Amino acid sequence: MNKKILDIKNLRSKVDETEILKGLDLEMNKGEIHIMMGPNGAGKSTFANVLMGHPKHEIIDGEIIFNDKIINDLSVDKRAKEGMFLSFQYPEEIPGVTVENFLRNAKMTLTGENQGVFAFRKVLKEKMKLLEMDESYASRYLNQGFSGGEKKKNEILQMVVLEPKLAILDETDSGLDIDAIRIVSNGVKAFSNDDNAILVITHYNKILDYLEPDFVHILVDGKIVKTGGIKLAREIEEKGFEEFK
Amino acid sequence: MYNENLLNNLSFKEYRLDKLKKYNKLQIPKWKRINLQDFDIPDYREYNNLQLPGHEDLDIRDMGTVKEDINEFTRYLRVNEEFGVDKKFVTLTEALSNSGVIIKIEKNKRISEPIRLDFKMDNDNPLLLDHNLIIAKRNSELTVVMDYTSNTKVFHSGVTKVYAEDNSNVTIIKLQRMDEDSDDFDSNIAIVGRDAKVNWVSIELGGKITASSFITNLKEDNSKADLKSIYFGDKDMEIDVQYKMNHFGRRSESNINTKGALKDRAKKVFRGDLDFKKGASRSKGEEEEYVLLLDKTVKSDAIPALICGEDDVEGEHAASAGQINELKLFYLMSRGISESQAKKMIVEASFKPVIDKIPYEDLKEKVEENIHRRLIDEKS
Ligand SMILES: Nc1ncnc2c1ncn2[C@@H]1O[C@H](COP(=O)(O)OP(=O)(O)OP(=O)(O)O)[C@@H](O)[C@H]1O
Ligand SMILES: [Mg+2]
Repeated sequence: MNKKILDIKNLRSKVDETEILKGLDLEMNKGEIHIMMGPNGAGKSTFANVLMGHPKHEIIDGEIIFNDKIINDLSVDKRAKEGMFLSFQYPEEIPGVTVENFLRNAKMTLTGENQGVFAFRKVLKEKMKLLEMDESYASRYLNQGFSGGEKKKNEILQMVVLEPKLAILDETDSGLDIDAIRIVSNGVKAFSNDDNAILVITHYNKILDYLEPDFVHILVDGKIVKTGGIKLAREIEEKGFEEFK
Repeated sequence: MYNENLLNNLSFKEYRLDKLKKYNKLQIPKWKRINLQDFDIPDYREYNNLQLPGHEDLDIRDMGTVKEDINEFTRYLRVNEEFGVDKKFVTLTEALSNSGVIIKIEKNKRISEPIRLDFKMDNDNPLLLDHNLIIAKRNSELTVVMDYTSNTKVFHSGVTKVYAEDNSNVTIIKLQRMDEDSDDFDSNIAIVGRDAKVNWVSIELGGKITASSFITNLKEDNSKADLKSIYFGDKDMEIDVQYKMNHFGRRSESNINTKGALKDRAKKVFRGDLDFKKGASRSKGEEEEYVLLLDKTVKSDAIPALICGEDDVEGEHAASAGQINELKLFYLMSRGISESQAKKMIVEASFKPVIDKIPYEDLKEKVEENIHRRLIDEKS
């Protein structure tokens, strides 16, 4: 039974007085994987940030309904508690806070349950193994000195540990080598289940081969201009976005 | 005005008398920078709370109770140049010190376990004038941890003089965790010999007015000094920190690294000087201060200065203040962590490298707990 997890109607947003999202509609059901593509500057990261509740972006019209609840006015941490997750296009470096400590804290906050140090470490190690990450990353400071690809992998690690209901992956595949794309894609695929939904923002078709998405959306100038299946992505690969501009 | 009779039973009487005369001539300072005005120095009281640690390889004496004049030490008491938060407070303590230690480590002795001094202040010991003399002879190594605490409003004026003779390595770790109504004035000076190094660690957490000064004279070739400090101010605290590295020797090196956080209506002035004297060729100095401003109502001033009496030197200085980076905050919060928890994480993370320098677990925990408690205290 598919159930609607996300329902966005006529979403408009502005940042520093510039309108970026100009009436965006999107529906997602549990169990689905969606792909979002679009030219540089179309508003994909903006959309991800607006969904997550970035305070610089102001919603000027429309509604975001997540799990039957209007979340327009929820702060980012509350949205995370509702089950949203964003894998950032450019993850921040946080010196002094280790990956393990941070994730354990986040997990405790999200679940409201204590996470024993050793039990949590065990889970973390399993997930790291799955993503072929060296255990030593657990005790490193969050993203500090990580390579571009390592940062992206670390985002996916956070996703599989925190187990959100809706994961938005903003160009997680950019900057990953061929092997890493396979590992990360398999991780995402394994994470996907009937109870969650995943929105993948990407410029490349490579990841589609692994993910077998249900829908592909084309975002141009702040609006979704076309929705289709995997064939649509193939067309874009050949012809570019010209016909949608 | 303090009476000379106070000195009757004290050691180093001649020295103290000289300082008392100077003290009585001086005015109590007025500082615009942190609003020190009409300040009253309390009446003299004894201080009887210091437990002197023993160590078989060290000569440790209590400055407050030592009765005889020990000629050997008198020359170390005398520092020719001006130093400290203010002459008035320095001479007060030099004349009337009621506590403090003299620690001497003989040449070639290296003591790895730290020496710990707990200066506890309370209703029975509300005045602490500690005068400390730390002498490291050639090729020796020593760490001293000084922890200042109070559970009520007290007055502290301390003077610490460190002599790191050639090739020695001295680490002084100072923690100030006094009660929030207390006044704290702390003056430190180190004289560093050839190939010797002094490491200062300063952790300033308490007091209503807290002023500290650390002056280091890099006297000889290859003298080195390192100063790492953190401060945390909340409510109406006024913090005045002054760090000064005086480079005399050739190829001398210094480094100052300060991290702070200010909350509520706290106010802070940071003054950091790298002073390259003529002849200090090929010397290097670096200083950096970074303060996190947790509320719009705080006030923060930083005055880093580079003084070059010599061309062939490298000096770098930077001071910056900022709100917590919005993007970092958003990133942390996007994983479910609340704003106050995320800010706390960032502050604690920036303090951690300095806190980790404390060689005692119990003290480390107390410092972390102190900062943690005040960070989660939403509005005061
Ligand atoms: N503060 C701002 N003020 C004005 N315009 C902004 C601001 N921030 C972003 N923009 C603009 O918003 C548009 C959308 O940016 P966004 O980062 O969402 O694009 P994107 O689709 O993710 O592109 P890419 O594929 O390059 O990652 C861009 O044209 C960008 O310049
Ligand atoms: Mg983008």
